[in-house]
Amino acid sequence: MDVMPLVLSLLYQFGTGAAFLFLAALGLVVILGMMNIINLAHGELMMIGAYTATLTYHAGVPFWLSVILSFFVAAAFGAVLELLIVRRFYGRQLGALVVTWGVSLVLGQGTLLFFGPFLPSIGIPGGSFSYGDFSFSAYWLILVLISLLLILGLWWLYNRTPYGLQAKATMQNADMARSLGVRTPLIYTLTFSLGAGLAGLSGALLAPTVTIAPFMGQQFVAPAFITVVVGGSANVIAGAVASSAILAAVKTPIGMAFGAFSGTVALLLAALIIIRIMPNGISASLQKYFNRRAGGAMR
Amino acid sequence: MKTIIGLISGGGDIGRTRVFWIGFGVIVLLFLLYPTQTSAFRVSNVSYYLLNIPLGLGMALLWGYCGVLSFGHVAYFGIAGYTYGVIAGNMTENPLGPLAGVAGGLLASAFIAGIFGYFVFYARVQKWIIPILTLVLTLLLETFLGQTAGYQWRIGSVLLGGYNGMTGIPWFQLGGFVFEGYSFYYLCLFVVLACYFSLRMLVNSNFGQVIVAIREDEVRTELLGYDIRARQWVVFVLSAMLAGLSGLLYVQWGNYITPSQVGLLQAALPVIWAAVGGTTSLLAVVISAFTLNWVTYTLSSQGNQYAMVIIGTLLVVTMLFFPRGIVVMVAERLGRLTTRRTAPSKP
Repeated sequence: MDVMPLVLSLLYQFGTGAAFLFLAALGLVVILGMMNIINLAHGELMMIGAYTATLTYHAGVPFWLSVILSFFVAAAFGAVLELLIVRRFYGRQLGALVVTWGVSLVLGQGTLLFFGPFLPSIGIPGGSFSYGDFSFSAYWLILVLISLLLILGLWWLYNRTPYGLQAKATMQNADMARSLGVRTPLIYTLTFSLGAGLAGLSGALLAPTVTIAPFMGQQFVAPAFITVVVGGSANVIAGAVASSAILAAVKTPIGMAFGAFSGTVALLLAALIIIRIMPNGISASLQKYFNRRAGGAMR
Repeated sequence: MKTIIGLISGGGDIGRTRVFWIGFGVIVLLFLLYPTQTSAFRVSNVSYYLLNIPLGLGMALLWGYCGVLSFGHVAYFGIAGYTYGVIAGNMTENPLGPLAGVAGGLLASAFIAGIFGYFVFYARVQKWIIPILTLVLTLLLETFLGQTAGYQWRIGSVLLGGYNGMTGIPWFQLGGFVFEGYSFYYLCLFVVLACYFSLRMLVNSNFGQVIVAIREDEVRTELLGYDIRARQWVVFVLSAMLAGLSGLLYVQWGNYITPSQVGLLQAALPVIWAAVGGTTSLLAVVISAFTLNWVTYTLSSQGNQYAMVIIGTLLVVTMLFFPRGIVVMVAERLGRLTTRRTAPSKP
């Protein structure tokens, strides 16, 4: 047997694993990093994205258009959620956790009552090709590519646009930002809406790979939260990228050898060990490391 | 004796007046007399509402008094229940089997909670990480138990049973006396009262004062020389054992347990009982746990699919408009009324 296809297959497994974790955690990290709020309705926002994509796709809308549509539907939903509920919980982290959990219960059960136990699924677009003894799905490769594009896009948004500047100012010191004329309530609404939209987008992108059901959000909850916990809240985008890579590196070999469930257990154990060593997540430790190096160079 | 009374009537919970204790006594008496007035079916239902109370008390202690939130206490409920099922189910010939099952179940939940608690408390993780990781643990447990359907998943002679659950779990018995039906009701009532009074003494003890101090300000408490990590760990393990106690009573009540008992919907319930009651009062959580169990059980046994929507909405409304809990706020209103009426007679 040739070694090359095996190596490629491992790389493919690793890449898709990391992309899955990154996509599952994306909306969550944007909200956590900017607003210090954990949104436990995250899985349900992904579910809303997947439902929008599925319903519009079966109504005849092209798949990629329905994915973009689901971003806006989930973002609108997120904005409403922020204005009505989340707004009252800034600075009360545990309160926000509990109230968003209540929202997630209502959304999940409400969807079950309204749309029934499942929707017809979307076939995986793009087909597959094989190399050596292994077959690769083109769609998953596109998802890896989209994840990379999203990382770049978020970097651009936060470092090159007026919104990004104001959002970072609000995050660092909300009172100071407000006195300099930043409309911080608007920034909060926009950020929550962006996070919700990204959750919806991820839900829609992952929709062809999973069963579409009211409680489908649950399967993303464990990987998404583990990724966020390991990444930490110091620099969420970098943290999420680093932790999805590390966790995928843990999960891929164990999952291949012992099955998917053992892979997820390994994720939890890895998370427990990583936070025992780095209580504030990878991103805080990375930042400390780079700060120390920068300090050393100056001296 | 005097210290015990002093500890029970200390300032750690609502209800310290004479009027309150008379009312409390009357309600306990009503519960004691209830089985003589109604059918065995209703008594069994009320046993179910009662047996969930220790789980709620564990949440109140952990969240309300110590300031640590867990979304996964049903995991310990399930671990204790399954352990009891395995041990007692393998010792059906032995009258000591159920007792061994109870000990094993409590130890198992304490053990898992101890390991988990070591990682999170000794790492001094941020506040939001603990609820997230407890939730993940519970989801993993549900997934694991759900895939144990095959015949290869058995321990001794007991099948784990996958999503169909573990069935035929024996009743609890002590020295040949089997607790079922009415006697089980009184067992539940006894356990609830014992848990309530011991916890009330605990929160009024020195230890209780320190955990409230930890909730109020971790850094300050630590600077006063208290090891906050050890105390948080102890409270976490204790509340996991309370959850385990509920799990034990649950499997003894229904003689079965399924993985959905540790699922996401069940995991939400203890948090909702605590939030609706008011996390800073043990008694308020007892009242709300009993009432909400009653409501959800009645709704869902009528096939009402809106039960979870109603309960979820109740949680959101409570968090928005009654942040200190509905029962606590009502009790304070009542307390103000009664003190105003009796004010002249008091020094």
